[in-house]
Amino acid sequence: MTQASTIEAESGTTPAPGNSRGEAPGTVVIDAVTKRYGDATAVDGLSLTIKAGEFISLLGPSGCGKTTTLRMIAGFEQPDAGDIRVSGRSLLGVPPYRRDVNTVFQAYALFPHMSVAENVAYGLQQKRTPKSEIRERVIDALDLAQMRGFADRKPTQLSGGQQQRVALARALVNRPSVLLLDEPLGALDRQLREEMQLELKLLQSRLGITFVFVTHDQGEALSMSDRIAIMRNGGIEQLADADTVYARPASAYVAAFVGQQNFFRGRAAEGGGAVDSTHALVRGATPASPALREGEAGLAAVRPEFVRIEAAAGDAASDAVNTARGTLLGVSHLGETMQYLVRLGDDQSLIVRRPTPEAPQVSVGDAVVCSWRPESVLLFPADDAASDGGFVAPPTA
Amino acid sequence: MRRRLPGFLLAAPAWAWLTIFFIAPVAMVVWFSFGYKPSIFATQATDKLSFDRYAEVLTPTFFATFQNTLWVGVVGTVLCFLIGLPVAYWMAVKAPPSKRGLLVALVMVPFWTNFLVRTIGWQVILAPEGVLSTMLQGVGFEPLAILNTRGAVLIGVVYNYLPLMILPLFVAFDRVNGPLREASKDLGAGKLTTFFRITLPLAQPGIVAGVLLVFIPLMGDYITATVLGGAKGNMVGQLVASQFQTAQNWALGSAMAVVLIFVILLTAAAGAILVWLVSWPFRARNRLVIGTAPAAASVPVREEVAA
Repeated sequence: MTQASTIEAESGTTPAPGNSRGEAPGTVVIDAVTKRYGDATAVDGLSLTIKAGEFISLLGPSGCGKTTTLRMIAGFEQPDAGDIRVSGRSLLGVPPYRRDVNTVFQAYALFPHMSVAENVAYGLQQKRTPKSEIRERVIDALDLAQMRGFADRKPTQLSGGQQQRVALARALVNRPSVLLLDEPLGALDRQLREEMQLELKLLQSRLGITFVFVTHDQGEALSMSDRIAIMRNGGIEQLADADTVYARPASAYVAAFVGQQNFFRGRAAEGGGAVDSTHALVRGATPASPALREGEAGLAAVRPEFVRIEAAAGDAASDAVNTARGTLLGVSHLGETMQYLVRLGDDQSLIVRRPTPEAPQVSVGDAVVCSWRPESVLLFPADDAASDGGFVAPPTA
Repeated sequence: MRRRLPGFLLAAPAWAWLTIFFIAPVAMVVWFSFGYKPSIFATQATDKLSFDRYAEVLTPTFFATFQNTLWVGVVGTVLCFLIGLPVAYWMAVKAPPSKRGLLVALVMVPFWTNFLVRTIGWQVILAPEGVLSTMLQGVGFEPLAILNTRGAVLIGVVYNYLPLMILPLFVAFDRVNGPLREASKDLGAGKLTTFFRITLPLAQPGIVAGVLLVFIPLMGDYITATVLGGAKGNMVGQLVASQFQTAQNWALGSAMAVVLIFVILLTAAAGAILVWLVSWPFRARNRLVIGTAPAAASVPVREEVAA
């Protein structure tokens, strides 16, 4: 990878003028930033420190403020309050064309009247780079993005994935200290998307550039990020690495948004260590955080892969803890896992996922018993907005 | 089972219309222009064909009128472009999107009044004893002496044709969407560079449309020029009309019309070549051709199937 070396070598030593705070080049500090549009607050007192060379994802549904945050780092929006610093230098009032950051846009935003090479050269031309050097660096960047052979084509002659690579090359050729990516994989089909995820991650760790990745796709965030900031209503709900976010979500909202959950709604029981819902008494191994008081409305969450399923033996009604009885509504083959949809009652279904080799012998219409261990239960105070996304709607048929 | 009709039938009504009411009359005009006026009571005859009418057209008197027409046409179009461009850009890019419909409607407002009435309105305003002149004299200026000059003609031309320039430019700027301009700034280009390298080149079809939409009718227009320019407002259109209506010499009128068509085509072509030549150094500076990759040095390129 000789082509990559020129970009690699210099990105780590980018000088940071005016760095008086001891923040390393490539560090992004968002300090109590607020952004309003009329009455609506898009970003609400957000504070976030992104380490140099880190791959961070801003994850959340549309309207959570993730794109606004990215656009403020890029300079397309100005914060109403707070400060944004890159490499220790405040960017307040600095126009986008004087910032040491580059963006990969959602729809790529390639210039249709220029060839691929001219698109990539555009940023260098603005910095009055000598022509011979432009040529060299454009070729390097296109090699890095594996688009060398398409250099003289127009963007309209490329597929979505190829345009994506050109957009990446066009941003990286400038050797920014921070690369901003605004849902760049959203328009690609699934297979290509997964391939690009891997490539992006490899590229990022090789170049050592700070990547700020905005997405609403939790799978993307989980697979690439060093840390994930899960955003809600203009603030950060949880900031942690993928393992923590998945295994120990800070709230029902995070639990619902990252991966799939079965939620049980009910009243806190056993001193806050369990939730008593219509269909099961769900007991956790660890108490709820934030704590649940006895009798308070609570939510218990169990991931589908932690639930076991078996045919109900006889009609002896079992009222055991962490057990629910129901009827098997459907089975779908997901490849490495089998997914079962169990109807517990009119208002609740349960999703169960088992590895295909361990698939139990149950068929649609059977009475089944589902059970799970207290270690896999997460308890939260009730949160309407969160559980909307996680509840499995009862099938009407 | 329905039979599929060929797609060109969709254009058939338009073709029929154009053939009957545009191509045929133009062909007749060209045909008449080679004829002559046989007697006082006949308008044209084509039993003997010659280029004599063209020789008549190209005499110094007519030549001066052509010159004047071309001057008004070119200067008027350039003024409309220079004035319309910032307005269209502002409407499409800077104005709040919710107000754009209203702005477009406001640009159209002059069209609600008759063309001639609007032009005569300017005569009232610009007359030496008119409103504007009286007001200016009130603050110590000389009586306004602009009516019956080329200046007055240009005022009227810009007023009458500006909407025809603004609308296509607006559509063109509106189509160059925000992300492209943002990408340009993101890559370090300031506002001017972004305008000249991204917005303007991508708005090119709209610019061509606007320029032609103003220039072509303007070359044939003589009402604006006669009403506001008086003796200084001699336009070819006026000569053509008087040959057809007053002098009843259709042959000469046709020859003038044909020459006018050629002048318009040549001027448009000259303008295009000029723009191409002037912009050539800039385009050459930013051109970058990489060529095919040397086999040894390159990473194998992955061919993806278009999504």
